[in-house]
Amino acid sequence: MSSVAVSALEPGIAPDRSPGKKVSSKTGMKSLNRLVRQPILLITVLSVFVLLFIFVVLPMFNVIKIAFSDENGFTWDYLIKGLSKPVYQRTFLRSIILGVIVAFTSTAVGYLFAFATTRTEMKGKKFFNIMATLPIISPPFVVSLSIIFLFGRQGLITRGLLGIKDANVYGLPGLVVVQTMSFFPVAYMTLRGILMSLDDSVEDAAFSMGASRGRIFRTVTLPLTMPGIISALLLVFIQSMEDFSNPAVIGGGFSTLSVDAYRIINGMNDMNMGCMLAIMLLAPTVCAYLLQKYWMRKKSFVTVSGKPTQARRKLHEKHIVYPLFAGCCFFTGVIILLYGTVLMGAFVQTWGVNYVLTLKHFSYVLTLGAGVIKNSVILAAVAAPIGGFLGMVIAYLTVRQRFPGRRLMEIASMLMFAIPGIVSCIGYVATFNTKPLLLTGTAVILVATFTFRNIPVAIESGTSTLLQIDTSIDEAATISGAGTWYSFRTITLPMLRNAFLSGLTYSFVRAMTAVSAVILLISPHWNLATTKVFALFEASQFSDAAAYVVIMIVIILAAMGIINLLVNLLLKPRAKAPSAEAVEAALQAQGSSK
Amino acid sequence: MKLRKTAMALVSAAIALTAATGLAGCGNDSGSTGGTASTGGTDTTAAGEASSAPAVEVSDTLTVYTAMSEDELPAYTTAFKEATGITLETVRLSAGEMVTRITAEKENPQAAVAWGGATDSYITLENAGLLDQYTSPEAANFPSQFLDPNGYWSPIYVGAIAFACNQEWFAEHPDVAEPTSWADLTKAEFKGEIAMAHPSTSGTAYTVLATIFQLMGGQDINSTASWDYMKALNANVTQYSKSGSAPVQAAAMGEVAVGVSFAHDILKVIAQGYKLDMTFPSDGTGTEVGAIALIHGGPADELTAAQKFIDFVLSKEGQDLYAENNTYRDPVNPEAEVGEGVVTLDKLKVIDYDAKWAGDNKTTLIEMFQEMVDDGSNVSS
Repeated sequence: MSSVAVSALEPGIAPDRSPGKKVSSKTGMKSLNRLVRQPILLITVLSVFVLLFIFVVLPMFNVIKIAFSDENGFTWDYLIKGLSKPVYQRTFLRSIILGVIVAFTSTAVGYLFAFATTRTEMKGKKFFNIMATLPIISPPFVVSLSIIFLFGRQGLITRGLLGIKDANVYGLPGLVVVQTMSFFPVAYMTLRGILMSLDDSVEDAAFSMGASRGRIFRTVTLPLTMPGIISALLLVFIQSMEDFSNPAVIGGGFSTLSVDAYRIINGMNDMNMGCMLAIMLLAPTVCAYLLQKYWMRKKSFVTVSGKPTQARRKLHEKHIVYPLFAGCCFFTGVIILLYGTVLMGAFVQTWGVNYVLTLKHFSYVLTLGAGVIKNSVILAAVAAPIGGFLGMVIAYLTVRQRFPGRRLMEIASMLMFAIPGIVSCIGYVATFNTKPLLLTGTAVILVATFTFRNIPVAIESGTSTLLQIDTSIDEAATISGAGTWYSFRTITLPMLRNAFLSGLTYSFVRAMTAVSAVILLISPHWNLATTKVFALFEASQFSDAAAYVVIMIVIILAAMGIINLLVNLLLKPRAKAPSAEAVEAALQAQGSSK
Repeated sequence: MKLRKTAMALVSAAIALTAATGLAGCGNDSGSTGGTASTGGTDTTAAGEASSAPAVEVSDTLTVYTAMSEDELPAYTTAFKEATGITLETVRLSAGEMVTRITAEKENPQAAVAWGGATDSYITLENAGLLDQYTSPEAANFPSQFLDPNGYWSPIYVGAIAFACNQEWFAEHPDVAEPTSWADLTKAEFKGEIAMAHPSTSGTAYTVLATIFQLMGGQDINSTASWDYMKALNANVTQYSKSGSAPVQAAAMGEVAVGVSFAHDILKVIAQGYKLDMTFPSDGTGTEVGAIALIHGGPADELTAAQKFIDFVLSKEGQDLYAENNTYRDPVNPEAEVGEGVVTLDKLKVIDYDAKWAGDNKTTLIEMFQEMVDDGSNVSS
C-alpha cells in the first residue's frame, strides 16, 4: 500500500478546513508524521525554511543585532532613545497616520478598477487593466516630480491653467495623493485575482432570489472578497510605511520613519539608530499582519468548489457600469497626466524650461545606459519567476498544509518587504559580505533582495485565492492517488494562475524599479538602471532621467505582455472549463448578435 | 513500519541540524561582528594579513566608490584607461551612502578607492579607521590649507556656498533684492521661499550649518547668535530636502525663490537652461573640499592601480577634466585650468572654514539642530 493512499485515509490528515484551529501537541505530531510520509512536501518545506533562514532571518538578525549593540556590546540605548525622543514619537505617529489613510484610499481605488474590469461588461477593460498596473512601473520619485511640475507653484495646471500662485504640494495631502497613485496598483492586482476567481453562481443565486445589485454587492461580493481587501490594506499600509522616495521628495516637513532611518544612517552615519527605527517600523506592520491573519482565520470564503459552473453574463446595467466607467476614467486621466508629463519631459530639451522637441535624451540613454538597462532586465527576469513561484509555494504550504513552524514561515516571508530599503541593504551586507556566505558584488545578492523583498505580494494574492478554493478539490485528487506535488501542479497552480500572474508582474516591476533597496548592493558589473535614474535626478538632468523611465516603461509593458502570454500558455487549466478569455469572447459574441 | 521510523528519525535529524547550523551561524556571526565593533582590533588583523600575504597579482581593473556626478564619470574612465591601461569600474553613490557602504563592508571591503564627496565624510571614515594613508607626489605643490594633516585623504576640488535665485520670482517681486548676505535670507519677504537640504543627509547643508557657527558663533556649539539665526532661517525654509543639489532644482522649477547650495551645483543647472542667478553671501561664505582616499583593507591586487588613480585625479591632466567637462568645479591643483564661469575662492569672501572642527562636531550639531530648529512646525501644509 502506498504511503500516499494511507495518508489520505487517516482522519485529520487531509488538509484541514479551518487552518487556524489550534494545533495541540498531538496534532502537531500528526502533521509532522504526515510530512515525513510525503518526501516531496518535506523537501519543499525544508528548502523554503532554509531559503527564508538565509535570506530573511539571518539579515534580520543582523539588523536587530546592530540596533541593540554599540562599541561595547549589547545595549538598550537605541531602543530607549527611539521610544523616548519626541522627534521619533512624532515621526512614528505620522508614519502610521499616513499608512492608514493611504491603505484605505489605495484599496478603494484598486477595488474600483478591479471590480470594474472583472465583474462588469464595461468597455475598455483591457485598457484599464494596463492603466491600473502602470503606476508601479516607474521609480516613485518620478510621480512626485510630475506632481510638482503639474501642481507645484509653477505647475502647468495650478499656475498655468488656474492661475494659483502659491500652490503647495508638500506635506500630508500631497503625500497621500502621490502614495495612493503609486500603491493602488498593488491593491488592484491583489483584488483582481480574487474578484476573477470569485464564482458568479453565488451572486446569481442572490440575484435570482430578487436581491438588488447593490444588496448583492454589500452582502455577497464585498464580504467574499474581504480576504483580498484585507490583504490589499495590509500590503499598501506596509508599503506606505516603508516608502522612502515619496516622503523624501514631497513630504515637506512631514517626515516618516523610513525617511528618518535613511537620514540617520546616511547622514549621521549612525547605523545603530537607523536599524532601531526600522525595527520600530516593524512593530505596527507585524501587528497589522497578525490582526489580518486572526480575522481571516475565523471565516470561510470558499466559493470555488469544483462543482460545475457555467459562464454567465457579467454586470451590464447602465446605472452600475457608467459610474464605474467614469471613476476608472478619472483615475486613468490622472495616471495619463502624470506619465504624460514624464513622456513629454523625455522628449523636450530641458524639462520645465525649454520645450523644443528633441531625441537627444534617448541617444544619451541608449549610448551610456544600454548596459545597466540590460542588467535590470536580466535580474528582474530571473527574480520574478523565482519570486512568483516561491510565493505560490509558500501560499500553498501555509494555507493548505499543516506542519510545525507554519506561522513562522508566514511571518518570515513578510519581513523583508516591511523594512526600509536602506536597512534591508545593511542586513544583506552584514550577512553576505564575508565567508561562508560571500555574495556581495554578485548578481545573486540582487536577485535574492528582489525575490524576498517582493514575495509578499505573490503570497498574499496566492493566499486570498486559495482561501476561496474548496479543499475538496485537493482531496478528490489525493483520493484518486495524486501526490502533493502532482495535485499542486495540475490543480492548485492553474487555479492560482491570476495570483501567480500578479506576483510575477509585481516582482518583475519592482525589481526593475527598486532604488534604496539596492544602493549598497550594486556593483560595477551589476549596476542598475534605477540608480542611474536617481543619480541623474540628483544632478537635475530631469529629461535624461525621464528618457530612462520611458524606456523602462516600454520594456516593462513588453515584459508584462510576455509574462501574461507565458502564464496563460503554461498554466492553462487542463479541464475543459472555459477560460476567462473564452467566456468573455463568447459573451461578446452573444452581445453583438443581439 | 520500519521505513517510517527511519524516515521520521531522518526528518527530526534534519530539522535539528537546520536549527543547529542556524544557531551556530548566529553565534559565529555575532562573534565576528562583536570583534569588529572595536575598530582597533580588526585593524591590526587586517593589516597583518595584508602584509603577510604573498606577492599579489596586480589587477588591471580598479573598483571605486564615487560621489562624483554621474555625468562626470565617463571622461575619467576614458582618460585613465588611456593614461594607464587600467579599467576604472565605478559605483556611484551619494557621499552619505558611500560612507554607509564602506562602513557596512568593513569586514571585507569591495572597493579600493573612495572618490568625491566633501572632507567631512572622509574625516568620519578616517576616525573610524576605514581609510589607509597615502600621500600622492602630485599633491606636493597643493595649497597646504586644503591638505589632510594626517595624510589619509587628498583634496580634489574646492567649492563655495552660494544662493541660487529664481529670475522669474525676482522679476515678479521687483521690490525684493536678490540676497547677498546670510542675514538677507531671514527677511520676512522670503517666508516659505527658501530651499535648503537637511544637514543630516547633505554635506552641503551641513557646511551651511557649520559656516554659520564659524561665522557668528566663534565655533561654539551653544552660541545663541548662531541658533537664533538658524531658527530665523528655519522660519523661511519650505522643505529640507535630502540631497544637497535639490534646493537648486527647487529654485530652478520656481518652487522657491532661493536655493542654498554649492556654486558648482548651481552653475550646472544654469548651464542646462534654467533661469537662475547666482549670488554669494558678502559677509563670508563656507567652503567644502572634495577628497579622494584609499579604503582600508580594499582588494589587495588593486592597491597599485588605486594609487595610480589618486595620482591621476590630482595631476594637472586629471584636474583639467573639470574644465573640459564643464563640471564647474574649482580644481585644487594650481597648474590646472579653471573652467569658464567658475568662481574661484580668491574672488570671494570666504571664511577660514575649519573642516576638522566641522567633522568632529557633526553629530552633536545635527542632533541639536533637529531638536532646536527642525521641529517640523515650519511646514505650511
